[in-house]
Amino acid sequence: MTVYDPQTRIGGMIHYMLPLSKIAPDKAKLKPGMFADTGIPTLLRKVFKLGASKDRLIVNVAGGAKLMDQGKVFNIGERNYLVLRKILWKNNILINAEDVGDDLSRTMRLEIATGMVTVKS
Amino acid sequence: MNAKTQIIAKLSSFPTIPVIVHRLMNVLHEQESRAGDIGEVVRHDPALTANILKAANSSYLGFSKPVTSLTEASFRLGTKWIYQIAVSSLIYSNINRPADGYEQKSQDLWRHSVATAVLAEALSKLLNIRDSGLIFTAALVHDIGKIATHEFVGESIVEIEKLISESNKTFEEAEIEVLGVDHAEVGAMIANHWNFPTQIIECIRWHHNPDAAPEITPAMDVVHIADALCLMEGIGIGRDGMYYRPSQEAIVRLNASGSILELAVSQLLSSLEEIEGMLEEALPVYSYTRR
Repeated sequence: MTVYDPQTRIGGMIHYMLPLSKIAPDKAKLKPGMFADTGIPTLLRKVFKLGASKDRLIVNVAGGAKLMDQGKVFNIGERNYLVLRKILWKNNILINAEDVGDDLSRTMRLEIATGMVTVKS
Repeated sequence: MNAKTQIIAKLSSFPTIPVIVHRLMNVLHEQESRAGDIGEVVRHDPALTANILKAANSSYLGFSKPVTSLTEASFRLGTKWIYQIAVSSLIYSNINRPADGYEQKSQDLWRHSVATAVLAEALSKLLNIRDSGLIFTAALVHDIGKIATHEFVGESIVEIEKLISESNKTFEEAEIEVLGVDHAEVGAMIANHWNFPTQIIECIRWHHNPDAAPEITPAMDVVHIADALCLMEGIGIGRDGMYYRPSQEAIVRLNASGSILELAVSQLLSSLEEIEGMLEEALPVYSYTRR
């Protein structure tokens, strides 16, 4: 997920690995960015503190890929995405654009000078 | 000459691994091996001894008093730890190689391999699987076949991807159809060429499809699941990326669950940082090739 305020040119990104920190609270304390529920709020707090505005914030999302016929046990990617949606919805933040799911691995970039986001898959 | 024959012909000229790797594996696989036995093997190799001491004194471990001997190091960190650092540092140059046909740079293949090894180790602990270090080693070398198959994959990538998108085949199924062999089978041949223990060869051979193995072992299932998780988390993956089918049976056989898998993944980053940080201090070439 990338966030960007075009007026102040403040932005950031997070590449988290797991949906919920309750699985390992001690790890979440050391590395909050690893989990959606601790990482996304941390990123938002940091950019707001630097002066980004919630109303201007442009949020883009990429990832949540899955393996072929992966079944339920392996569906970490999908759960990662669902928790993100829930957090953004609770905070009244809309997603500008997204490229999620499917069996594509993606590399996401955010150019801080312009706010341009690219996704390579 | 078809692709399979050409790939196999290349294997005899493939670089070998240091003899000491075998000695380490043998010691570890003997029942009741003691810390002293590993030290006994390592001691005869001054360069390896120095690397292990540097790793043991790495800032990542955060001990204030430095260790000065292998005995102290194994007392502080354990036999298995010494084995893992030794094997990783000895095999590093064999794996830290580009697999261009899969669009994996050398550090991608290495990172995926070491992450799979760390994750397999975490999973085997969480699932209470008795293991002496075999699972770590097997996971570390599971993709070794790619080093031999990648050129051929690169040449046939259009055909391979067509089979994936049109016939819903996995990447390794498409490799078999187009090249006559997949990177798992070639990897097993390389491990055989290296005189690796049969159990490790079998883990490599069936790492994408443990259900098809003649004799399924927990080690094999663990390597399979660890690999699938690292692919899903996108760690060092290539163009073959997500085009693999994880085995649901392996989950059942190991009595694993979604939360055990997530717990293992949650331990991955810090363990990976630790082992990479130590190798960086132990192997001058490591940080050099990774910057």
